[in-house]
Amino acid sequence: MRAALLKAQIEQTLPAAFTVYGRKNEDRGSLPTGIRQIDNAVCGVPLHALTEICGSNLASSGKTSVLVSLLAQATRDHFCALVDACDGFDPASGQTAGIFMPRLLWVRCGKSRGPQNGRFCRSGVENRVKLPPLEQAFKVADILLQSGGFTLIAVDLSSIPECVVRRVPLSSWFRFSRVIERQPAALVFLAQEPHATSCASLVLRVTSDPDELSGNLLTDVFSGNLLTQRNLNVEVVRGREKKPVRSERTGFSLHTQWA
Amino acid sequence: MFACIYIPDFPMQASLLPELAETRTALTHSPIAILDGPANLPRVFAINLAARHAGIQPGMTKLQAGLCAGAVLRKRSLAEEESAQSTLLDCASKFSPRVELTVPGAVILDLSGTDKLFGRHNNSQRNAGRENVLQNQVWPRALRAMTAAAAEAGFEVRIAIAANPDTAFLAARGFSANTIVPVGEESRRLASLPIETLPLSTEMLKTLNRWGLRTFQSLAALPAVAIVERLGQEGLYIQKLARGAIARPLLTIEPNPEFAASFEFDDPVETLESIFFILTRLLHDLCSRLISTAQAASELRLTVGLNVRQLQSTKLSGVLHPIRFSLGGDFCRVLPRISENRNGAQEGDQSQHVWKLPVPTQDNNLLFGLVRLHLEQTSFSAPIRSLRLEVVPVKPRLAQGNLFAPPAPEAEKLEITLARIRGVVGITDNDGTDCVGSPHLLDTHRPGSFALQRFSTLQDVRRPCHPERSGSARSKAPTESKAPYPSLKPKGHDFSSPQSSPVIALRIFRPALETTVELDGKKPHFVRLWSRPRRVLAASGPWSSSGNWWNTAAWTREEWDVALQTSAGPGFYRIYRDRLRRQWFVEGVFD
Repeated sequence: MRAALLKAQIEQTLPAAFTVYGRKNEDRGSLPTGIRQIDNAVCGVPLHALTEICGSNLASSGKTSVLVSLLAQATRDHFCALVDACDGFDPASGQTAGIFMPRLLWVRCGKSRGPQNGRFCRSGVENRVKLPPLEQAFKVADILLQSGGFTLIAVDLSSIPECVVRRVPLSSWFRFSRVIERQPAALVFLAQEPHATSCASLVLRVTSDPDELSGNLLTDVFSGNLLTQRNLNVEVVRGREKKPVRSERTGFSLHTQWA
Repeated sequence: MFACIYIPDFPMQASLLPELAETRTALTHSPIAILDGPANLPRVFAINLAARHAGIQPGMTKLQAGLCAGAVLRKRSLAEEESAQSTLLDCASKFSPRVELTVPGAVILDLSGTDKLFGRHNNSQRNAGRENVLQNQVWPRALRAMTAAAAEAGFEVRIAIAANPDTAFLAARGFSANTIVPVGEESRRLASLPIETLPLSTEMLKTLNRWGLRTFQSLAALPAVAIVERLGQEGLYIQKLARGAIARPLLTIEPNPEFAASFEFDDPVETLESIFFILTRLLHDLCSRLISTAQAASELRLTVGLNVRQLQSTKLSGVLHPIRFSLGGDFCRVLPRISENRNGAQEGDQSQHVWKLPVPTQDNNLLFGLVRLHLEQTSFSAPIRSLRLEVVPVKPRLAQGNLFAPPAPEAEKLEITLARIRGVVGITDNDGTDCVGSPHLLDTHRPGSFALQRFSTLQDVRRPCHPERSGSARSKAPTESKAPYPSLKPKGHDFSSPQSSPVIALRIFRPALETTVELDGKKPHFVRLWSRPRRVLAASGPWSSSGNWWNTAAWTREEWDVALQTSAGPGFYRIYRDRLRRQWFVEGVFD
């Protein structure tokens, strides 16, 4: 009785306080990653949702390859944007992977050279502090989301130190998830660790096969003095259709462009 | 019939035109004097009615005019007058294609053939007399329409309609209200006008005053032969003007192909807010002209005049070096230009900014957004003294969107989005490469060579049937020809269908990390990475390449792909040795 009274009082003040924003169960669409094992496991990267692809930065986890493959698939039919927080994208790799470059907007954060020739000091503009790459990337992602029209917006934060990304408040992730929910687009973050928690609809952790360089597998990786293949594992940390979370692992292989 | 649109106190109204409508209305009732002349001794050039009532007379010095309480003194601006004249011409061109620019601040229109515009008389009216209908219904309607159009453009005008151009001009100039001079009554209607209304030379005016002639009527009443005997043909012409008896063809002007608007500040400004305020007004005028002529802007040019004297006093350096950086459509360039006066001293500095728009537009808000976002990122080395906006007009885009094209950002909105992104991340990096755009591999063997092209959704070309594989020194086989990609849709993908095999991507370190490598024979044995020596588990190489040996940009390197032992597992890195610098670098990681 007391709870009902309390609820009535809250609803009187905030009419939409208890409105349930139910998610529709029907398939809202997805983008294939181009890696069969991942697509079979998670049905691609979901639209209207935030996705995280994680992996170690020191070891070659393969997360960038997954993103590049995703961009290659998405640029076939859509315009995509890559917000590169640390300017690590290699256009040659992208072209080899099949990214259709005219449909890719590449934003290189943290590379500006600042004021050009001594801005007039009293205009009040030159005093603006240059944003750090992480804030630039978030701001650009926000602008792109507001603009609309991009089916895939990928934000590469993998080179940003982990301690810095961890400081991003949860409200930012929540806001991104709410904004992308209303748009026919996929928002993908590439990072070393998952940070968006429940705001992410899909979290993939890519790791290298621990036995990759042992025994006979070494000859597969380095075939005839050439780096030809990588054996990787992907773990579905969080998925749309698997709640509560139950991680699922699957293996896949990547080849070099000359293999 | 001809109509004359006359702007009384034109220099004063031209100076008020850039102001907001409320400010303009408030200032109109204040005594305003426009000053002209040398900078050390400016004199009053034009005044409004309130200033005349306040005792200010043309020819007064600035000091004398300033004694009048509440007087607003402004410097005459020829650029503003030019802009106002263009606006007046556009206003007149809405009603007739045949327009004559008689004097600054006055245009004459040929009203023949404007029946559909101002209404036509029906048969019953025709029976009653066509001239009466025109006199009583059509021309008053024309006067109201032209007055409203001029008021919308920001002018307070006097309009006269008469059978010949000169009568219309004299009536508009001489009478204090809108006038319709009926056909055949020119002499009678002009009779009361003062003789100073006529375009007389000073000598002629003195002569007529000495004869005691004060009005048109007194001049028109004189015998023509006597006038010719005393004043020659000029006197006869003046008398015919006073009688309203000169029928001359209209000297029409060609439509002005140049869409430009200028503004000169009284004092150099230092804040962007002041510039934005003026730019809003100028862009609004330009877009109104574009709309009235059914054209759209394909290119926008902004010329900013800088006050170099203040630049010299502030001793800022680097202003004279031309800068080029990308923005907006193709590029935006800044071209500092130094002009010299006759004394050989630097008098002014200009920087020009050009936007090539991907889609012709008439939207002044869009154009202003582009200019604003750019100016916020642009540095000016000195206070700004003038602005000039030019627009290259083209026919508006009349294309229907492609139903089968991929969903894309709106082309007009995309330019603003890109400008906003550039405002966040900057325009170029230290190497001069753009920070925003579509990546494009350069036609060179030098690793890591790329450029960013303008990102556009309009020139979306079809994707090639198979992805191009870039050439590599390690390519074992020629490029394989693959089947065309299946058309993928956002929903209902067939994930079991065969797809192209994914490749290992390289994550680049820009700039490359300097490192030290311990060799075992010729192979790397230990690589120092992130301040720690890492054991090489496997290595592939060396792969040698070189280029540009014929010029100063020569490069030669020896690449290795190595698997390093790290705490998180094996890390596959690309290292190379710069043979010219004799230094090892970590180029990237296969991630």
